[in-house]
Amino acid sequence: MYRKSAYELNQAFVKGELSATEITSYFLKRIEAFDGKLGSFLRSYPERALEKAKALDEKKRCGEKVGRLAAVPIGVKDNIHVKGDLTTCASKFLENYTAPFDSTATRLLEEEDAILIGKTNLDEFAMGSSNEHSAFYPVSNPWCLDSVPGGSSGGSSAACAARLAPITLGSDTGGSVRQPAAFCGIVGLKPTYGRVSRYGLVAFGSSLDQIGPFATTTRDIGMVMEVLGQHDPHDATSLQSPPDDYLDLFNGVRNKKIGIPRSFLEDLQEEPRNSFNQAIEVMKELGCEIVDIDLSVLKYSVSTYYIIATAEASSNLARFDGVRYGVRAKSAKTLDEIYDLSRTEGFGPEVKKRILLGSYVLSSGHQNAYYKQAGRVRAKIDEAFQTAFQSCDVIATPVSPIPAFPKGAIRDPLEMYLQDIYTIGVNLAHLPGISVPCGFNPKKKPFGLQFIGQRRGDPLICRMAHAYEQIAPFAAEIPPEFDREAP
Amino acid sequence: MSDLNKETIKTLCKLSRISVTDEEAKQLFCDLKRVVDHIEKLNELDVSDLTPYAHMDEQGIDALREDKTEETMPRETFLKNSPDCVGGMIRVPTVIKDV
Repeated sequence: MYRKSAYELNQAFVKGELSATEITSYFLKRIEAFDGKLGSFLRSYPERALEKAKALDEKKRCGEKVGRLAAVPIGVKDNIHVKGDLTTCASKFLENYTAPFDSTATRLLEEEDAILIGKTNLDEFAMGSSNEHSAFYPVSNPWCLDSVPGGSSGGSSAACAARLAPITLGSDTGGSVRQPAAFCGIVGLKPTYGRVSRYGLVAFGSSLDQIGPFATTTRDIGMVMEVLGQHDPHDATSLQSPPDDYLDLFNGVRNKKIGIPRSFLEDLQEEPRNSFNQAIEVMKELGCEIVDIDLSVLKYSVSTYYIIATAEASSNLARFDGVRYGVRAKSAKTLDEIYDLSRTEGFGPEVKKRILLGSYVLSSGHQNAYYKQAGRVRAKIDEAFQTAFQSCDVIATPVSPIPAFPKGAIRDPLEMYLQDIYTIGVNLAHLPGISVPCGFNPKKKPFGLQFIGQRRGDPLICRMAHAYEQIAPFAAEIPPEFDREAP
Repeated sequence: MSDLNKETIKTLCKLSRISVTDEEAKQLFCDLKRVVDHIEKLNELDVSDLTPYAHMDEQGIDALREDKTEETMPRETFLKNSPDCVGGMIRVPTVIKDV
């Protein structure tokens, strides 16, 4: 059953071949059996999930219409609210925090009869590219347990890749869905900014954050986006436009123009370069035309991002003061001590570092040189993308300069931040991007191919990824350690 | 050039309500210095003719929803997450003394 996609599981349920209870118990058993090696889940929901599954079986038995995601088990990144359960953001600060309301994303999933089976691990407050910054435990890469799964949605990507859940949700502020999808050899989508409601997602960088799904096929991504991609009055940045047709996957990609920013990709090492070039050859065989575009300004994207994202984070995380919710330092005697000690004890080193950097770039005397300058460069990056899209329909790049690296291998923060070079521009310009596996290195670590679309061009990049995976089905490969039934 | 030094780190910590040991401050200084030196490269670019990016969707973002009364979160639900509360209110140490 673990080899089935979400679509296949849903169809098996609809046709009466499998019950929702069978499917749910099966995946819960896989989590129990295999997640000790991965650390991809922070909690699973046996009782809640089985109760929902039982109710769904009953609903079907009574002949009622079932939802579009009926019986599909879904894991949710633990910075997204599911009412009544904890939302820890993998931080000590929120280790006891119970979500007081449902996020719009999980509400929509449950309205379509998906089964939420648990909450997945992440870098604390979604800050990181390796999932080594969870306050609870790090996540391992299912292809190589000594390596990182990527981040910050590393729990969601590892869980999906190990087939512990056919679909998982992540959030992507600078690549946090696409890069872990690439590291774990599955598909991950960062939708157009505003396409999926952020209501109930704990904010990191508000002008960049976007919820996105992981799956083992692009069709599954489309199936989830059909449900998630709609306007929400509870999110002021939610797009007004009507939902897009994400299942328009089969119309072919012939004559589509793919822009490649060759000069921006000059420094790419041989292995990822070869896998990228081979993927582009596949797209050519499918009838796509390749054009060269100039996105050299993206070399400034990491700097721009780490100014804007940390500035927004330092402001967003000011709410964690130990007064209203979260952990309050036990030794605090005065109000000032409550603020200082709670934040000092509650936040991990990476979060503190980013708050301090954000405070620095926003402080008086620096705002112009850093924050405002970054805003202007962001406008230039947006301009470069808009110009590029005058000569192409989609843009293709690798997802990451290197495949999954060993845990502890990157200690220098700047070197770590520079790993986001190919994904960050997409968030800055509010574009959609999809990561689809495009091969392996000799050590069997996956590489990812990224298609970037125009705003609201999410269906087209899904169509490109779908066409590619029909010829090169790397996402169908399962990490050997997890390619077996739970004992 | 940035004016980042060990003293600025201390000021930033104070502003951000985060305490660090001398050892931590040293490490933070090294890490932040690396990053700040890198992000300074942005000033190479002449973008003075551009206004800072503030994206609006072509079709408009629903910044203002209809002003209608809706149920908000019940006080008890909110207080369940508070570290210390009494009589339906959050309790903090005395702030104003000897009035």
